[in-house]
Formats: sequence, C-alpha cells, structure tokens
Amino acid sequence: MSVEKKKISRFEVLMDAGFGAQKAGDILIRAFAKTGKYVYIEPMIPAEISPPPRSRPAMSGVIIRLADFDITNIGNNTDLIIAQHEVVLNRRLDDEEENPHCQVLLDTADQADNSDTYAQVVQRVKNLGLNIILFDVDEPSKLLIRSLGGNGKNMYYIGMLAHIYNADVNVVIDEIKMTFGKKLAGDILDKNIKIFEFGYKYAKEHIPLNYQIDGGAKMAERILIDGNSSLSMGVIDAGIKLYAGYPITPASSIMHTLARVLPSYGGMVHQAEDEIGAIGTAIGSYFGGVPSITATSGPGLSLKQEFIGYAAAAEIPLIVIDVQRSGPSTGMPTKTEQSDLMSVIFGSHGDYTKIVLSVANVIDCFYAPQMARYLAEKLKLPVFIMSDFQTANSYKIIDKPKVTVMNNVEEIQDFVLERFHISRLPEKIEMVRTNQAIPGTMNGMRRVTGLNTDQSGSVNYFSKTNQRSHMIRNEKVHLVKRALSKPEMFGGDEGDILVSGWGSSRGIIEEAINNLRAEGIRASGIHFKIVWPLPMMLKDIFSRFKRIVTVEVAYGDELKPAPLATLLRAETLFDVHSVMAKATGRPLTPRGIMNKVKELLETQTVSVR
Amino acid sequence: MATQVQNSPLGEPITLKSLHTENPRWCVGCGDFGIVMALKRFMVEHQMSPDKTVNVSGIGCSGRAPNYINSYGAHTIHGRPITVALGLALARPDLNVFIESGDGDALSIGGNHLIHGINKNFNCTFLLFDNELYALTKSQTSPTTRKGHKTNTQPAGTYLEALNPIKLVLGIGASFVATTADWMPDHFEKTLQAAFNHKGFSFIHVTQRCPHFDPDNFDHKTTTWFSFLKHANGIEPDKRIAGKTEVIEHDPTNLVEAFQLANSHHRYFGLFYRDDNKPCYDEILLNQSKNTPQKTKEKLLDYFLLK
Repeated sequence: MSVEKKKISRFEVLMDAGFGAQKAGDILIRAFAKTGKYVYIEPMIPAEISPPPRSRPAMSGVIIRLADFDITNIGNNTDLIIAQHEVVLNRRLDDEEENPHCQVLLDTADQADNSDTYAQVVQRVKNLGLNIILFDVDEPSKLLIRSLGGNGKNMYYIGMLAHIYNADVNVVIDEIKMTFGKKLAGDILDKNIKIFEFGYKYAKEHIPLNYQIDGGAKMAERILIDGNSSLSMGVIDAGIKLYAGYPITPASSIMHTLARVLPSYGGMVHQAEDEIGAIGTAIGSYFGGVPSITATSGPGLSLKQEFIGYAAAAEIPLIVIDVQRSGPSTGMPTKTEQSDLMSVIFGSHGDYTKIVLSVANVIDCFYAPQMARYLAEKLKLPVFIMSDFQTANSYKIIDKPKVTVMNNVEEIQDFVLERFHISRLPEKIEMVRTNQAIPGTMNGMRRVTGLNTDQSGSVNYFSKTNQRSHMIRNEKVHLVKRALSKPEMFGGDEGDILVSGWGSSRGIIEEAINNLRAEGIRASGIHFKIVWPLPMMLKDIFSRFKRIVTVEVAYGDELKPAPLATLLRAETLFDVHSVMAKATGRPLTPRGIMNKVKELLETQTVSVR
Repeated sequence: MATQVQNSPLGEPITLKSLHTENPRWCVGCGDFGIVMALKRFMVEHQMSPDKTVNVSGIGCSGRAPNYINSYGAHTIHGRPITVALGLALARPDLNVFIESGDGDALSIGGNHLIHGINKNFNCTFLLFDNELYALTKSQTSPTTRKGHKTNTQPAGTYLEALNPIKLVLGIGASFVATTADWMPDHFEKTLQAAFNHKGFSFIHVTQRCPHFDPDNFDHKTTTWFSFLKHANGIEPDKRIAGKTEVIEHDPTNLVEAFQLANSHHRYFGLFYRDDNKPCYDEILLNQSKNTPQKTKEKLLDYFLLK
C-alpha cells in the first residue's frame, strides 16, 4: 500500500457519549503536536451527561484538522470519519460537512441487531458518493473491551487512526500513559494500550488508507491549549485575584481551572448561589480595590444585566467574560453562536456605557484579561470579553505566550495594546465623581450608588447634572473610540468586496480571503477584536470597496440584518448585509464564505442562508 | 461581625458631626432615623474608623442609609447588597462591613442571597429594616405585611399571613440572630455591640416604624405587646423600657427555645440565638489562599508545554 502525502487533512471520531471520543481526540492531537504537526481540534459534545446510547442526541465526537503548516480554524469539510455505529454516523451526515471524497469507516459491532438501519445508512453514504469501509473490532480486543466493562473502544479507533495518519506509535503510547497513568490501575492501562496496538495492527492489515503529513520543527517552547484554559491563565497573568462564577456551559471550565490554580497565585474562586450573586461579589471585590472577574454564558448574561448597568453608573471596574452559546433562552448549550453581541453592547437598561472585546483565538484569550483590566480600571466601567463555545473548546498549538507582571494597569505592555488595535489612553480621565477612593483610604470616605449624583457624589436628580453624568460616561467610551487603530485586514485596502467579521471568525475569514485572492478575486477581509466602540475610520475603509458584507454565526435574513451587519450599518450608513448569517450551531467554513462571495460577485444577489 | 476597632488614624475624634453627610430624605417620624443614629452612636462610642467601615445597602428606604453615614458605602441594586458585601469581605477582610436591607429587599427580591449569606456565615453585620411593607414605592404588600392590612397592591387587605423572618433565619442556620427596634437606642446599640463582636453573619432584625404608610403599626408608646430576652450571654434589655414590660430568661444557645419564641405571636427583643462555632466561608477561602504554596508566574504555562 502506497503512502499518500497530504499537506492537510480533517478527520472525525464519532461515538456515543461516555465512550471516550474526547479523550481519544486529546491523546491523538497531543501525539501529533509533539511530532511537529499543526493541529486544531473541535469537540462536538451533547448537552446531557449520559443520553441513551445509540440515540441521535448521544453523539459525542471530535473533529481534528491536521496540517504541515499553521492553521487558524477547524477548516472546511471532513476527509475521513470513523463511527462507532450507524446512528451517530447518520446524525452527523445531516450536518453536510463531509468532502466529496470522504472515507467513511463504520464499526459493524451493532450491525447484527440493527441490520435494517445499518443497510439504510450504508446506502445513504453510497448515495452521497462516498466510500464506505465496514470494519469490526478484532476478537482479542473484544475480549479486552468486555473485561473493561465495555470501555476501551476509543483506543482501538485511535490505533486505527494512528496507522492511517502515520502517527509515531511510541509517542501515542506515551500520551495514553500520560492521560491515564495516574487514574487507571496498571493492568487496566496495559489493556488500553493493548487495544490501541490491536487497532493499529488491524488498520495496517485491513484498511487501505495511509496518509503522511509532514512534521515541522520540534516544538520546544510551544503549548497546546484550549480557549477557556488560555482565558483562565490570562486571568492569573493579568493579576486578577478573585473569580466569582456560577456553573454554566460553556463557561464552567474557566471556574474549574481557576479553582485548581488561582490559589497558587494568591487568589480565590467563589462559586456563587446564582449568576447575580457572582457578579455582585465581583463588583464588591473591585470596589474594595481587588481586581476580580466573572464569566458566564447567555442565560447568565441576561441575569447579570442589572448589575452591569450598576457598575457603569457607580463607576466600579467590572470584567465579564461571555462564552457565547446558542440561544435564545436555553438554546443549544454545547453549540457555538455569536448572537449575544447586541445584548452585551446594549443589554442593561438606560443609556449606559461599556467596552466590548472579543477573542479571535486562544492567544487572544490569554491577553484579553490584561486588556480588559487596563480598560476597566482606567475607565471604571464594565468591560466584556466575548468568546464562544468554539473558541472555548478548541485546542491549538501556539508559541508560549509571554507572562507578564502587571501590578498596576499602567504597566500594560505595548504588544498587548497592539494585539487589540488600541493605543494607550490618557493618564487622567474624568469621572462623574471626583473622589474615587478605595475603602481603607484615609479620609477618602465616599458612597457609591446607582442613583444619579453630582460631582461630589451626592444624589441629585437635577436636569443638568444628569446630562453631565451621561456626557462623562460616554466620553470614556469615546476616548477608546479615538484610541482605536485600524482593525486587522486581510488582502488589499481596496477591491470588489470586503468581508467583515468579529471574534472566532478571524481565522476562517483569513483563509477564505487568501484562497479567493489566489483565484484572482479582489476580495479583502476585516476583523474586529474590539467590537464596541467601533473605530473612527470605518467609513473611510468601507468607501474603497464596492460591497461590504459580514459573516456571522448568528441569525439574519433579508428582512433582518445579523447583529454585526446592523451595527456596521448604523455606524457607517453603508449598505452592509450578511453573506452568511448562520445559527446552525456549527462554525463557519472558509469554503462556505468563498462560495457565497463568488455567488454574490457573479449574480449580484445572494441568499444569506 | 468581628473586626478590630481602630481609632481614627489622624487622631481626630469621631463624632456624630464628623459622621454626618447630609440631612436624610426620609419622612418625618421614620424609624430609619433611629437606625442611622444608632449606627453612628455605635461608631462614636467605639471610635470606629470610618475609613475602614463600609455600609452596603440595597434598594428601598433602607437602601439610603449608607448615604447618611460618612464612612465608605455602596448603595447597590434591589435585593443584592449581600453579594457585594461578600466581595468586600473576601477582598478586604480588614474592613468593617455593615449591610442595611429591608423586608422587601432581603426577604422578597433578595431572598436567595439571604439564604446563602447566612449559610456562608461570612463576617458582616446585617440589619433587616422591617417596616412590614414597601414604602419607597408607596405602600405595597411585602412578605412581612400583616394579614388584612390594606395596601395599594392588595387593597382589600393583605391576603396571606406574614412571613416570619426570625423563624426563617433560624431555619437557615444563622449563627447570630438578634431583634431590636428603632425607638430603643440603648438596646439597639447593645445589639450592635453583640453583633459586631460575633464572628460571622450577624443577623439583626429591626422592628421599624413607618408612620407615613402604616401609622397604626408598632405602638411604641405602649410596651405590653413585646418582651425582652435576657441572659448572661445575651443582650441586656433596654434600660429605659425594661421596667415597663416583661423580661424573660432565654439561653441564646438553646435553639429549640429560640424557635418556640420565634413561633409565638408575641414579639421578643433580644438575642434569640448564637453559635460561635459555625465555620465562616470567607475565612475558609482566605485561609486556602494563604496556605497554598505560592508559585511564580514563570511556570504558569508549563502544564500546557509540549515537551
């Protein structure tokens, strides 16, 4: 069997929840990463802990993108799927994310009892024009799996994948040991490794697929990290000492990580009685002069809104992380979306002011807390860090970020400001109240309140005083607006079309634009990290393109512009609309954007769906 | 709440005048005047540094209290002062934290936080200003409004029996439960003293008059409708009123008797219950931070290194 060289490939492992697809994925990517390959992994997780096996909601899987060059997103479509049974495969085919030449490997373990549905799904795969390979776990592995109470099949699959993708067997085994070594008894660990080896041998003898993706240099000072871990480490690096939160998917893992690590860096984690309690405690801490943070997702964001407005009015620094999930209401807790933009920018009642940062990738996650702390303390208002399910849970290899010590926000380093395309703010910034003393400050006694006050802090309902408060609060945001430099752009400064996006769509836009330009299409991209306020020169940038469009993981249609499109329209009066405004729970793809851009340029119309 | 009382760092005496900010915007005869005066007298009596003192309140008439004491203060949002106070207790254990809340603020919109503040038993002195209705929003039924009392939201008379806050907080497991009234300054100050000396969440129920919306409630000129609780480890009865009403012995470690007293329709002022051994959440978190070996930041990301 000849080895096929590939620069890039994407594959998936689909299993029932609880069978270790996520663990298997982690082991594989670490092994690949250690041998110099670039990886990007996206988990597909059910919102329930143990949905009934062999049911559509039970599907738990990982998508892994593997390349010999640095990759910024989970990519387009899948080249190879390995599925535990026909139900999870059938479920996943509904997402239509496979390539035309995708290889489908289907475990036949459940076939005997479900021959009809197996036949139907196999036929479906064939009708899609895909190649299907049926396989069965070998007998010795079956015995081992039975002795492990049904566990261990994930090891067989990664054994197969290790052979198909030419992984270094010893490195994978080391990773299995690292992952399970402390948790599993020695004989159980040995059995898992045995099953892995049987899977490898099986693929070598029976699966006619063998790909080689070259490894790059050895990755000495590089880390493999997911978005939420990176945010957590960034919180520590920014010198934040108190995390207050309430369990909510997909923000909880930030609290889990910090609960383990923050006490080692002089801080503490408070699990509050509810979302409102969490933000109240974060505000109390910051009022006391100790930097604090809270994190949440959609439903928690709604609950926190009153306190967010309070922090703006009382001029107390506040940092809130919103790891977006699919809404409205409970929505789809383990699916990604960018639909919180409006409720984050405009959510609390009355005219109130805030700054909204977003993260494009796991490196941004690390520096965002520093950036947020700088803005929150300089301006004494709420600062949001917007992430999403996809960024939170995707792993990527990055150069180890520089750790810094920020005792005082003025010590923030230029490269952090540059990363968020903003320059340093003036040293002195006017506040509604002159006295901003922290409790404990001698003779600085003052009372903060959500009521309107005059300059002295005394409650005051007079017309001119209230207008003054608004003006000063808004001027803080204008200061940021003026300090914003040109957002990151891909491609040229002029052309036929400008594709705009924010947050996690950065890598996807970049890849789509590079590919479009390689085909001779005059397309460019623009990506916003700070999404509120927007920079001053937008109109100028937009005026050099024939069309401005957005791509968003949020709903929009002909009668309802998606959130970013709405903002850009309001800000620039340009006829911005979306070529992609999808709330499917799945990330955008570079190819999807390319197709829509081409369709628009060819036909001058495009359906957003 | 137990924290070191410190003298003013400048050596200037703390006086009622130095604690004054502006004339309160409460109605004539409001019980809140008495409460703020008691707090100020307590600070003067102990020369408690206003630099180190924070009053945290929610929304309602009670919410305005911090504005009228020249210490640090946070007038927060409706029902949530406990959450902000906890942030201060965790971040700044050196501060004296007082919470001023009302029956609507603490027992209705903020009920969840009261449960968990009490359960966490973090170090603060909590005052429930109980005037048995919503007043700042102009006379609506609150959880403690007596059955039959007419309000703007239940004009035919309040439908339900009033919720019993003492029973509630005893049931949650409060480590310190005392009751007093706005018109008995001597007893109020002794109650503050006992509450302040207690380490943990010290709950003080204040019977508070609202002559504007409910002038018939709490006849402070008569004394037969209430009794004082007395014990060597309790709070002394009010020196002015003690002779005019019943004083009964109650051991504040006797939880069963505390429930029985709380359960009666008669009102008792004094120390219902005290447990000096209940763990304090703030202390646990602070100790955990203190006792965890500290790491240097250089190693922050080593866990994620691809070695």
